[in-house]
Amino acid sequence: MIVTILKKDLRLYFSDKKGVLVTFLLPIIMITLFAFAFGGVAKKKSTPKPLGVLVVDKDATITSQELITKLNGMQTIRLIASEEEKALDLVRKGKNVAALIFEKGFADAATVDADLPIELKYDAARDLQMRIVHTVLREGLKHHLGKTDVINNVHLKTTSLIKESSTKAHPGLVQAVGGTAIMMLLFSIAAIGGGLLDEKDAGTLKRLLISPVKPLDILLAKMGTAIVVSILQLTTMFVFAWLAFGLPVFMDVFSLTLLILCISFAVSSFGVLLVSTVKTRQQLQGMSTIIIILMSAIGGSMIPINMMPAFMQDIAVISVNYWGIEGFFDIFWRQLPLIEILPKMGILIAIGFGMTLTSTVLFKKNIIAIE
Amino acid sequence: MIQVQNLSKSFKNIQAVNDISFTIKKGEIFGLLGPNGAGKSTTLNMMSTILNSDSGTIHIDGKNVSENSSACKRLIGVVPQEISLYENLSAYKNMQFWGDLYEIPSNKLKERIHTTLELIGLIDRKKDLIKTYSGGMKRRINIAVALLHNPEVLFMDEPTVGIDPQSRNHIFEVIETLNKQGMTIIYTTHYMEEVERLCDRIGIIDSGEIIAQGTLSQLKELVQTKESIQLEFNFLSENNIAKLRELLPYIITQNKNKLLIEITVKELSKVITACNEIQLSIKDIQLNKVNLEAIFLNLTGKQLRD
Repeated sequence: MIVTILKKDLRLYFSDKKGVLVTFLLPIIMITLFAFAFGGVAKKKSTPKPLGVLVVDKDATITSQELITKLNGMQTIRLIASEEEKALDLVRKGKNVAALIFEKGFADAATVDADLPIELKYDAARDLQMRIVHTVLREGLKHHLGKTDVINNVHLKTTSLIKESSTKAHPGLVQAVGGTAIMMLLFSIAAIGGGLLDEKDAGTLKRLLISPVKPLDILLAKMGTAIVVSILQLTTMFVFAWLAFGLPVFMDVFSLTLLILCISFAVSSFGVLLVSTVKTRQQLQGMSTIIIILMSAIGGSMIPINMMPAFMQDIAVISVNYWGIEGFFDIFWRQLPLIEILPKMGILIAIGFGMTLTSTVLFKKNIIAIE
Repeated sequence: MIQVQNLSKSFKNIQAVNDISFTIKKGEIFGLLGPNGAGKSTTLNMMSTILNSDSGTIHIDGKNVSENSSACKRLIGVVPQEISLYENLSAYKNMQFWGDLYEIPSNKLKERIHTTLELIGLIDRKKDLIKTYSGGMKRRINIAVALLHNPEVLFMDEPTVGIDPQSRNHIFEVIETLNKQGMTIIYTTHYMEEVERLCDRIGIIDSGEIIAQGTLSQLKELVQTKESIQLEFNFLSENNIAKLRELLPYIITQNKNKLLIEITVKELSKVITACNEIQLSIKDIQLNKVNLEAIFLNLTGKQLRD
């Protein structure tokens, strides 16, 4: 009897292709992503993309220039010459992990064995990358300046360009709140989009189509609902983060509101696109789980972007999560003015428009087609 | 009121509707009768503007459905086969929502909701959530929603599926009332009794084709089957049968105390007189009418519910 029931259950289980896909494909995708993220694969075969470190040579001597050339020969980092003001600005905006500054008098100090007037100014939000850069540069300096015998001779001063303070969020908190908020929002919105399929099953969609309502209006109304819910959900999450963890949500309320609106639009359009590509609830469940987890993993909701290998950081830009999280970092950590955050908001809106446009085509084909 | 001409529709390799034509006059109840999968709902979907035909035309009140769908949508009310209501909203809120889609002014809509709920006999339950309603009550609200904008034509796609006889009768009464008020109704079903009771004219559809149409009596004339009467006697001797055969030459079969006689209802008095003449007491009389089931069987060679 047990075997009979077991056989029946297995038969039913394997007849649900979407369920099987989620059971087997999703863990495979996740293992692959985390393996890449934590460096478990590919490093034996290929060298990782070097970290870009800006270098400002205020000393401008043969010694400093020769040292920069030698340091640039290291595989882990790539030194990019820059002006001081520009370099610091890029680091502040999160474009580069750090700027290495050779102060005047570096060559003289190097010859007399004094403390080197050299400083590494960095973005503390990219702590892991910064640790790598710091270690590599310190070892490089010791080696190329011939100071391998005395370990502490080379003191590489480090300064975080963005200081933590009571009025500023810790980057870990920004990552946790921003990343989780967007990922959970994607799940909520996929469920709201699924309401369209429920309406199709219940017959109310057919009745809507019979009424004088235009088909596109049905889609846009559903998207409007998703946007309202998104705004409420994100707002609730940030208020909770403020009350529970002291996230300074009132630091730049205007930018935060705009960013929430942009994320809500992009996520809602994603939800509507997702539901327009499928024909049944079962298909939606399978697909949404895979796509949302995949997008959240590569977009930085699960693992901070800067912990990922370079190629994964490159593909992260296709996800809503990436632009949303970066926007939250700009507001809460980097404290950038609105004008600096606008491009990210613009990209979120562009993603939203692109997905909405695609949805309208697929909606007609998959959802409102009556048979 | 409605002209359907050479209408065809196929889905991939399946010809759902094949070159059908019919006309419906204003104020008429037209029944579209056929088994499941015959093409009734596809035809209604095309008439409801939500499905494009491959060929052919549909005109409602002179307006071509494919060219003027928005005007046609306001002329028609559709009662879908499914209970197309929001279960977690009350009947009133459901009706308000659907009424708003037809841009009925708020005061007028309130009045329409009230009138319609009274018509279907659910005014006392208007604040209750749909999910608390019985199947029959849901079906009635399903009809009420289609009436809110006061359409000239009502399409009803199997509106009595899965409900109790009492609710079914209530729905029939509603349909008859609406028809008396001048509403043109198209009624699809695979229940022949419903068509016989409600419809002025009938179109019999099978495998996407209308195989016959007309009034019930016109359809009866189409087929050769006659009405028959079955008589049951308390006792029937060979002698009595012989005497009856002399008086009634149209006896078809005899089984124990039962006789099957093929006559019209008008000829029943002759049979009773003959029985009295030979002092034969009749225990029971059963009339076997020529119904749509028989007509359908005669026309297609299969049962309506196949």
